This record gives sequence, C-alpha cells and structure tokens, in this order.
Amino acid sequence: MTHIILREKDVPNIRELDVYLANEGFDGLKKAVSMKPSEVIDEMKRSNLRGRGGAGFPTGIKWSFIPQSEPVKYVVVNADESETGTFKDRQIMENNPYQMIEGALICAYAIQATAVYIYLRGEFWDIAHDLDERIEAARAQNLVGDDILGSGYSCEVYTHLGAGAYICGEESALLNSLEGLLGQPRVRPPFPAQKGGGLYKEPTVVNNVETLANAPYILRVGGEKFAELGTQQSTGTKVICVSGHVNKPGNYELEMGKHTFRDLIFEMAGGIPDGKGIKAILPSGGSGPIVPATDEVLDTKLTYEDCQSIDTILGSASVMILDETVDITWAASKMTKFFKHESCGKCTPCREGTFWLDKVIDRILRGEGKRSDVELINNVAANMQGTTLCALGDFAANPILATIRHFPEDFYAHVDGDDEKAPVKAAGD
Amino acid sequence: MNIIKGFATTFKHLREESITLQYPEQVRPFQERFKGRHHLRRYDNGLEKCIGCSLCSAACPADAIWVEAAENNDEQRFSPGERYAKTYEINMLRCIFCGYCEDACPTQAIELGHEHQMSFTDRRDSIFTKEMLIDAVPEGGQPTPQKVEAGAFDRAIPDMPDPK
Amino acid sequence: MSDNMVKIIIDDVEYEVPAGMNVVDAAKWHASNDIPVFCYHPKMEPVGMCRMCLVEMGTLQRNPETGAVMTDEDGNPLVRWFPKLQTACTQVATDGMVFRTNTQAVVDARENVLEFLLTSHPLDCPICDKGGECPLQNLTMAHGPGESRMNFSDKMKLDKHVPLGDLIFLDEERCIQCGRCVRFQDELVGDDVLAFHERGRTLQIITNSDPGFDTYFSGNTTDICPVGALTTADFRFGARPWELTEVPSIDPHDAAGSNISLSVRLDRDFGGRAMIKRVMPRQNEYVNELWISDKARFGHHFTRSEDRLQKPVVDGKDSDWATAISTIAGLLEGADGDIAAIAGSGMSNEDLFALRSLVTANGGKRLGAWPTTHTGADLVAAVGVGVGTNLSDLGAGDAVLIVASDLEEEVPIWRLRLKGAHDRGAYVVVANARKTRMDDFASATPRYQAGKAAHWLDGIDKADPEVAKALKAAQNLVIVAGAEGLTLDGSRALMQSAANFLIDSGHYGKANNGLMSPLPGPNGMGLHYVGFTPEVTADIAQNPPKVLIVAQAEILSDDPYARAWLDKVETIISLNLFPDAVADMAAIALPIQSFAERDGTFTNGERRVQRFYTAQGPMGDALPAWQALSRISEHMGQGKAKASAAAVMVMMSNELPAFEGMRYRELSRTERQFPDISGDDMYYGGTAYQNKGGLGKVIPTTAEQGETPARADVSLPPVLEVGKGQFVVLPATRLYNLESTFRPSTLVHPRIMSPFVEVNAADAARLDINNGDVVEVKLPDVSVRVRASVNGGAPEGALVLPRHLTDDPTPMTVAVGEIAKV
Repeated sequence: MTHIILREKDVPNIRELDVYLANEGFDGLKKAVSMKPSEVIDEMKRSNLRGRGGAGFPTGIKWSFIPQSEPVKYVVVNADESETGTFKDRQIMENNPYQMIEGALICAYAIQATAVYIYLRGEFWDIAHDLDERIEAARAQNLVGDDILGSGYSCEVYTHLGAGAYICGEESALLNSLEGLLGQPRVRPPFPAQKGGGLYKEPTVVNNVETLANAPYILRVGGEKFAELGTQQSTGTKVICVSGHVNKPGNYELEMGKHTFRDLIFEMAGGIPDGKGIKAILPSGGSGPIVPATDEVLDTKLTYEDCQSIDTILGSASVMILDETVDITWAASKMTKFFKHESCGKCTPCREGTFWLDKVIDRILRGEGKRSDVELINNVAANMQGTTLCALGDFAANPILATIRHFPEDFYAHVDGDDEKAPVKAAGD
Repeated sequence: MNIIKGFATTFKHLREESITLQYPEQVRPFQERFKGRHHLRRYDNGLEKCIGCSLCSAACPADAIWVEAAENNDEQRFSPGERYAKTYEINMLRCIFCGYCEDACPTQAIELGHEHQMSFTDRRDSIFTKEMLIDAVPEGGQPTPQKVEAGAFDRAIPDMPDPK
Repeated sequence: MSDNMVKIIIDDVEYEVPAGMNVVDAAKWHASNDIPVFCYHPKMEPVGMCRMCLVEMGTLQRNPETGAVMTDEDGNPLVRWFPKLQTACTQVATDGMVFRTNTQAVVDARENVLEFLLTSHPLDCPICDKGGECPLQNLTMAHGPGESRMNFSDKMKLDKHVPLGDLIFLDEERCIQCGRCVRFQDELVGDDVLAFHERGRTLQIITNSDPGFDTYFSGNTTDICPVGALTTADFRFGARPWELTEVPSIDPHDAAGSNISLSVRLDRDFGGRAMIKRVMPRQNEYVNELWISDKARFGHHFTRSEDRLQKPVVDGKDSDWATAISTIAGLLEGADGDIAAIAGSGMSNEDLFALRSLVTANGGKRLGAWPTTHTGADLVAAVGVGVGTNLSDLGAGDAVLIVASDLEEEVPIWRLRLKGAHDRGAYVVVANARKTRMDDFASATPRYQAGKAAHWLDGIDKADPEVAKALKAAQNLVIVAGAEGLTLDGSRALMQSAANFLIDSGHYGKANNGLMSPLPGPNGMGLHYVGFTPEVTADIAQNPPKVLIVAQAEILSDDPYARAWLDKVETIISLNLFPDAVADMAAIALPIQSFAERDGTFTNGERRVQRFYTAQGPMGDALPAWQALSRISEHMGQGKAKASAAAVMVMMSNELPAFEGMRYRELSRTERQFPDISGDDMYYGGTAYQNKGGLGKVIPTTAEQGETPARADVSLPPVLEVGKGQFVVLPATRLYNLESTFRPSTLVHPRIMSPFVEVNAADAARLDINNGDVVEVKLPDVSVRVRASVNGGAPEGALVLPRHLTDDPTPMTVAVGEIAKV
C-alpha cells in the first residue's frame, strides 16, 4: 500500500518543499482554491473522514458548522500531541510537514478563515522552529500569506508553543492557552465553531494534525475515492502508534478495517520480546479502556466501530502492549498518576477524584490496602465518569474501571483477605 | 389495731442502719460519671485543649457559657491551631450541669468534674473565669502562652483514636 | 414581565420564565427550587466548575410538522433526555426545556460531588469563621454523604494562614477552587489581582499585585467565598456567626449610601456592651447590589474609638449635659439673633432638622454646609436621576458622563457599578484634568486644562463635538459631576453646565437620567434638603457671627485657611464625635453619637432617604445630635424635645416638603429583590446579605413633581493666574486617608499612602525631581513637605496634592503654588 500520511516512506525527503511540490504537493490546495468553499466542505463530507485526534467526529460536518456570515474565523491545528503512547503527529510534522500545512490551508479556505494557528506542545520547540522556516519557504512560493496561488484568498499561518499541559490537547483548553489564559476547558455551549466559543470568541475549527494531513489527498483524488478505503464508518487509513512490549514499536499507517490487532502486533510490530505472552492492550493510550489480549480482542479489526464492540475506543490509535509480566495494578497506578498530574483542577470530580484514586492505589501497592479499597476506587472512578466538564475526567476514570473489570485478581493479589475498615484518624491531623 | 401496725413499721426501721450521712464531715462516694464543676483541660505539654470554638456555649441550654476567641501563633501559643479562648466564663448560677458542653466539645477540652461545693455570697462570684477553670500546668509542661517550634501545632483538632 | 416568556418544566411542573434566564436563577425565583451551587453566582458568568448543580435535562419532543408536543398514551409529554447529567448553571431557559432535580441520579451526583470536595476540605469547622453560615456545611448537611470513605491520613496539608494582602487571609486547605473571588475581581471590579496558580489538586489562589490584593473591594470576596477560605483581618476569629445580631445600617463614608449590616455582639473588649464585630453588605439592588467597598467594611472602628469625645466640655473642662445645655441657652439668648451654624454631612437628616430649628428659633438665618468644595445639590434636587433609577439598568445605548471626579477614590461603589454599565455597552465618558482609575472603564477620556472643568462642559459642543453628540443621542444619560480641581464658584458653574446639558438634551425627570454628585460624606443631599448650603458657609467666613454652632464639621482639619475667620467668631459651640481642633477653640464641645449608636436617616447622592438603626452601645455620655439640640430648644422654651428620631422625622416631614410622607415605617419597607438571597441560605449562602431594614425612599426631583427646570446662564469662574515657575495645585481625594472617622481603623493603615504629590514627568525633569524625592509644595500661607510621585498622573503644569494624608491640612480647593526639591 502506498502511504497517504507517512509519505516519507515512499518518497524520501518529502519534507523539502521542492520534493513535496514535485510529488503532487499543493495540488490539493490548488484544486481547493479553484472550487467554491462550500464545495470543498462537500468534498470532505463525501470522504467521511473522521477526526484523528481521538473523538472521531466527522471532519466535513465539523467544518460545515462554521457560520459563513462571520467575518473573522480561525483554523487551529491541534499539535499538542500529549496522549500517552501517541507519537504520530510528531512524525508527520518532522517528515511530511507541508502536507499538514497544505491541509490546514485547505481547511482555512473551506471556512474562509483569516489565520491558521498551529498549537504545538512546549516540548516540540524544535519542530516549531522548523515549521516556521518551512512556512517562510512556502510563503516564498506564494503558498502562504497574501493572495495564495493567485486565488485572491489570503491566510496567515502561525505556530504557537504551549507551556506543557496534557489538558491543552482538549480543544477549548487549547484555545484558552492560545489566548494566553489558564489552560482550562471552557463551558460549552458555545462550541468553538460558534460565535463566542472559538479563539478570541470567533468561530474556529480545531483539527488534529493527522486529520488535516488527509485533506490534500482527499481534494486530489476526490472524497468518494478516499471513502473507498477502509470501512463504511471508518474510511481512509490510520497511523497507528505501537509501543510497549513489542519488538518493533513505531508508527504504522494501515488501511482501516483491513487488519486486526493480531496482524499489527505479531506481524508488523514483530511480536512480544523474549517470546513472552501478551496480557493486555491499551488501544488508545492511557485514556482509553484497557482490554485483555484474548483471541476475540486480537481478532478485532482496527476500526472505530470494531473497537467499540469490544468496549474500548480506537481514539488516537496509540496501541500500547503489556506482556504477561506486567502487574496491571502497577499500570493502573502509573496511568492514575499521569492523570492526577495533568488534571487542570477546574472541576471537582476530576481534581479531587484523581488525587483520591492515587492515594488509595498507592496504599494498595504498598500492601496496606484492604479488599474494600478495590471496590472503593472502582466506585470513586465510576462517580467521576460523566460528571466532569471535559473528557479528561472520563479518561482518568477509564484506567481504573477497565483494569478492575478485566483484571480484578491483579488488585486482590495486593490486598489480604481481611476486610476490616482501615484505621480512621480524626480530622485536621 | 391500726396503731400496732403503724408502730410495727416504726420499730422495724429503728433497727436498720441509718443512711443519713453527716455531711460535710462525711462525703458520699461519687459515681464516676457525676457531673460537677467544669475543668478546662490541658495537653501534657501544657497547651490548652480549648480552641475557643464556642460550641459549648452554643450547646448550653442555660446560656451559662461565654467564650471570646482570639488568634494564636507560634510566638504566643495558647492552644494548637489558630484559635484559642481569650475569654472563657461560666456562670455557675445558671449552669444546670447537664454536660452538653462536654458533649459538644470537639477537643475534649471541657470536662465536668466531681466538685460540687460551690457557694458564693456575691452573685458576681458565681462567674468562673478561665483562670479559675483551667487545670494547672502538668508536670513537664510549660505554661501558656508558649513560644513553640514553627509549624508544630498548626492543627486545631488533634488525632483521636475514635472520633465517634 | 416581558413578552419574551418561555415555558420550562422543572420536576414535572410547568413554569413561565423569561427567555435566557439562567436555570439556577429561574428555579430559585420561579419554582422556589434551590439547585445547590458553589461556583455559580448570579452576578457573574457561569463557569460550570464545581459540578454541584448537576440535573437531569431534556427537551420536549415535538411533532416536526405541527410543532405540537408529542405525548405518550397517558398524555404525558415525551422528553428527549440528555444521556449525561448537565450543569444547571450553564443552561439558559429556552422553550421546551425539561429538568429533574429530585431523581436518584441527581441525588447521587450531589452526594458524590460533596464527597469529592470533602476529601480535601479540612474538618475544622469548629474554628472556621464561616462555620455556621457556610454553604459547604449547609449543602453537606442537605445533600452530602453521611460518612466519608476517605482515609483521613490521606488528606492534603497546606498552609492555613496565607495573607493575600493586609486585609484578607487565605486558608489554602479550605479553598474548593470555585474561583468566585478570582472572577469577582476580574469581571465585576476590573482589578484582576487574584489568579489561579498551578493545576490539578495543587491549584491555588494567589495574588499577583504588589501590595497584595490591591483593590478597594477585596472584602466582598470573603462574602461570596462558599467556604471559610477567605477571611478578613478584621473579623478573623472575632465571633461565631450564630452569636451575632445583624443591625441594618448605612455606610457613613460616602455618597453612595451603601446598605450595610452591622454584626454586633456583646463583648468584653467593649465593657460587655454591644460591639460591632464586622460590617457586611446588605442587599439593595438600587444602591449597592451585594457589594460594599473596603472602606465601608473596615472603617467602623471610629465608632468605639477611645479618642471619642465622651463628656460635654464647658470652657475646657469636663462637665455634664445640664450645665452645658444651660450655658448654651445663655449664649444663644445673648447673641441677639446673630447665630449661624455649619454642619458636616455626617449629621443625619434628623440632626440637621434639629439644628435648623434651634438656629431659626433663636433668630439665626445662616445655615452653612461643610465642606465648601462641592455645591449644586439644588440642581441635583431639580434634575437629579429620576425615581426608579438603577445604575445596573444602564447598558447599550445609554451614556454616562463622569466629570471632575476621581470616582474610584470618592465613591467606589458608583465606580464599580458604572464599570458594569461600561461592560454592558454603555458609552462612558470620563472627563478630568488628569488620569483617574475610571479611565480604564471609559469609552472616551477627554482632558481639559486643570481647573477648567466648567469651561470644558459649557463649551463641549466645540471642544469635543463627537462626545457631545454621543451623549445627547444616548437613550439614557447620567452625569456624575464632582468638584475636583474647582473652586466653589467653579463647582457651581460645572453643576449648572451639567444641568443645562441635561435640560437641553431632555435627559431629566425620568429614571436612569439626570445628575448625580459625589458630595463628600453620607448626607450631602440631606444638607441641601434641610437648608444647609456651602455658599452660606462662605458668607459666614466673610462675616463671622457672634455665635457659631459647628456640628460634625472638622473645619480646621480640612481647611488650612479657616482659622483666620474662625478666630473672629465670638463663641463657638461644637458638636462632634472627636475632640478636634474646632472643639478646642469652642466654648462648649458636646459629644454626639455616631451613626452606629442611634437611629436616623441619611439621604444619599441619588436622593434616597435610608434608615440606619442602633447597633452599638453609646460612648460615654454622648447623645444623638438631634437629641442634644432639641434639649437645648426645650430648655429655651422652644418646644418639647422629641423622644425619638422617628418623631423628629414626623415633624420634619410636616415642615419640609422634600420629606413629605417620609415615615420610618415607609423607609423600612422591603421587597423581593433579584437575585433572591433570602431563604435557607442554600443558594448563594452564608452571609448577612438579606435586607430586613428597608430599601429607603427616593425624594423625587422637582422636575418629576411637575416643575419645569429652567436653564440658567453659567457664570464661568475666572481662570487661575499661573505665573512663571508656578503650578496649579489640584487637591485630590484618597479613599484611605487620615480623616477622624477612618484613622481609628488601624488595620487599614498599611494601605494609607504616605503623603505625596504627583508631578508631571516633564515638569519633574525640568526641576530635577525624581520619584520619591522629598519636595516642598508652597502655597499661599501654607507649605507641606511630601514625597514626589512622578508617575504620569498629573498633567503638565499641575500638581496633584491628595488631602488628609497628613495631620496638617492641605488646601481643599484648587490653588496656585510652587514646588521645590528639599
């Protein structure tokens, strides 16, 4: 299969503008500016491309929410790639950056945006520096800035570095951070696409890097052609980030619905090191529910809908593999510590819940827990779910709920059978 | 006939031991939980247990307790935490010795003791001030206010084995 | 109400509510349903942070063709429920919304949120100042879990004593990160001095100003804090809330007449008598909404200051009332009618009436008002803001002109509310000779030459035609005209210009239109209505009378030039709270009671007559001024002394037309106000907000009573002649100062600026004056040594010299002087 996103595997040095231009680079944008903006959106709708950042929302529909009557609109590229185990956007920006820039400009043209902001996580400062140079190179070719490709349409592209917070990958927190405010999610409605909800209160499309990198191909070959790839509900290809206990971790771009977890782990990624058995899979980093590596799971196809059928999510497709030696309680503790550290603290259940969960899991891991503590964390996590302002509260509950559901014995191994109430101390101590 | 019956009862009781005590020479033993005059307790290091929260005063059905609080710090520490009782007074004429104050106290600072011989010739003497109510500094402890190590006593309500 | 009503269903009952109303407010106001909240506050934008107000929400299913509500077989409407619980605070009412607040899911969600909050909240309610009036406590009792599953040893341990500033302390453990304080400062005040720091469980409130929490409204954050995280330095551990009695009162410091509540308790520190333990705002949506300035909150200590005058002083010796009264009677009889009075605006309406009666009954005619900085109260009475005015109603399409006033320092509550008007889209113009804080919330900031405010406004059509046009075109127009940088004649000219402007553009005689003035003190308008004017004071200074009664007017502390003419008065009778310099000169000094010790009324800058009630035990032998004065009258056979302030008001309402129909019973009427903060404190919680003392009554303007206000020619005062090397010296007001009614509040002293003069940078460079240099400001017969502040606040050629920062008085009105480096 030729790659759509990770084209550097087929075309070396595609990161250079001349190479990119020589290989159908900016043909998508050229096509786009020859069309009416609404036609570009229709093309995207026909492709049935779903957002690659995790939620899987149809991209064309997202673009169509932007009210055309508003004079000022923005496109924000979410390059705050901070989901545990995700490293696809980094590879795209390092090796095929123009495709993302082209995609962002196609989106900008489709909604007639005045500017594109590329919000990168703080650790990507070198990429940001590189992108700045590449944006200038594209400007020299009249691909960015005033009167792009002589179409009369003008759009600026800026990069912006975050200050290092997982929550800023959430679109409304990202917008706050971009505006210079505290990186905390906003109340919705109004949604970013609406007046009053986006960047500087103007309608804004926020898309993931990989999502936008698909746009040039879709424009080039047409939405229907794109939709032929993959399944009906999961069209196109997906870059899968494989990490953990595999011999060949890395990014694999696969056509959706053609491969199973078994193909991915044992054929492409070379299986588990040292011939160990596989215990569990985290299909979407720390934020998605863990699944035990049963035959049923291993034979599940890599699509949004098939992952749902095994009670997990494909999300950003950061597949983490845990082998049989891993203590799932320890893994749950690691993930909980991550979410405790990354909770923004704005709303109560997430702020207090992650803190509390961490305390109890620590106790369990120290061997001081009781059997009732396992039920306690299960219940606390359940209480966090569905009550928070943004999805981070749900994400933070997932590792606990799913690990206990699938691997209760790992937890009970740390607690003795004795179920007396832990000694209670008085308040204020 | 009735008169004989009557005297029979009298003579029966004459033979019994007298239960009248020659108070105050003789004092009847107290039940452990007898509620007498109040005491304000101290910790072993001499700090006052009372944190001036006024819950005793709020609980008092006779409105006999008057508390005024003030702020404490490590330079001038009366009690653990930030608050201590600057004024603590009980009007013993009003007190009905019900012990609600004891129940309300979150630090077990006020306890009703066994003393009950309180008489005054002036109504003003019925007001027992903090100086009268508070226990003597225990052996090894310091009188209050104390200058203490910073941060050592910054919580008002102490560890208790069973808060219920 | 409006025709924009929509139908929503709460717990199976249908209610009609205004479209767009917040659902928490709608449930409270229309359905008496207290949806519990922590972070939501009706005066601020919702943020949905605390998750306490989670409810089940859905929409009615409608037939797509007919639009009719679809029903099931039993006739119950079909509802499309949201899959997750929604926060009620972030929803606004639209037609067909359905809510359930009493289902098991909602009950569980509330219990869970409270359990989460309590995992980090310390259980030190016994020593917490909020304990007893704490929303967290109340909501936990109502909705919380019976027992926590949190192991206590896992609790956070954080700093419990963080001073955010000199006045407010933060207990980091108690904070539940609702952000009400941060949002209050950002959204409502505009002083964004608080912020969140860090994230997650380490999220904490910090102050990012130097000095910390640098705002005049900091105390309000302690009221809206739903836990005991923010406490005031004044009330920290002062009393338990259930021991306090709330006494309705009026802020005695400025013309806003903020409704306050004095929380009193018997106290050993005050000899076992009733003592003010704290000052809380009292809801009056027309006057101060739910807010008060820090001066109102922390400026109450003067009422029980040991320095108060406590006994009548006759000829320099402590005496008693009988002696003092008979002596005064003798003096008045011997004056042959050459009697005059000067009253300050700390006097209540009743006091002023008693003083007027005494003077006129003995042949006196001259009633002077103090200070002689502001005049034009008669014009406020004629074309003032109409009955029903509410500054909160001003918004898009309306305009406000603030001229010759530093509103932040003079009447901070007006500044807060007019900032709100600006946020709502009103066209706010701040005209002054110099930069003031209100400039930050202005649409236009025209500048005029120092001392020429009246010239500017009189000629505004030429000077600033755009501004003039916008003001005239506004739907509603309020002019706030002060007297900064003006002489008394200048003030008269400015007020007349303002009145003319309003008359010309037709912005008078109706609600939300007209003239206001930041008259000093709480009863500047009362002085006018009882007949005391500053012009008469000027006349008294020119022609000193034989006997002068000076009532609560600290003439010598205010005016460096007054001693010259006061010396010419044969006999001075002083009535004051403090033994000031006038009392020292006086033959007789009478101790009078402060606002806290007795009943009375003040008339605020919007002409609202408002009652205050007796809160505190009296200081020494002090009497209410009306009582002292009417006992003198009685002694002289001029009518029997009244028994109560209410009785004086009855008499006054019969004699003075402005007070017609004013009865204490009328003034103490209340009505249900939005937001409704009454009830069982589950809603916004925890404070003494509720107004039980009355909303007061506004004296209608003469324009509203059918009199057509006449335009009068403005007689512009002569322009100050400034010689070479000379400067125009503009006296300025500072909110925190050393006036006798504020000096005893020592806890605010760190916030009182040390004496300074503002010098323009260009002038300073010319004279080689640096920021912080000690300079001497020389004025006719007066000179002061202060530090120079070169911060761009003063216009070129002018010096800004704040008053009342030293014991030595500095000029009250604009003057010409020199400056030199020492």
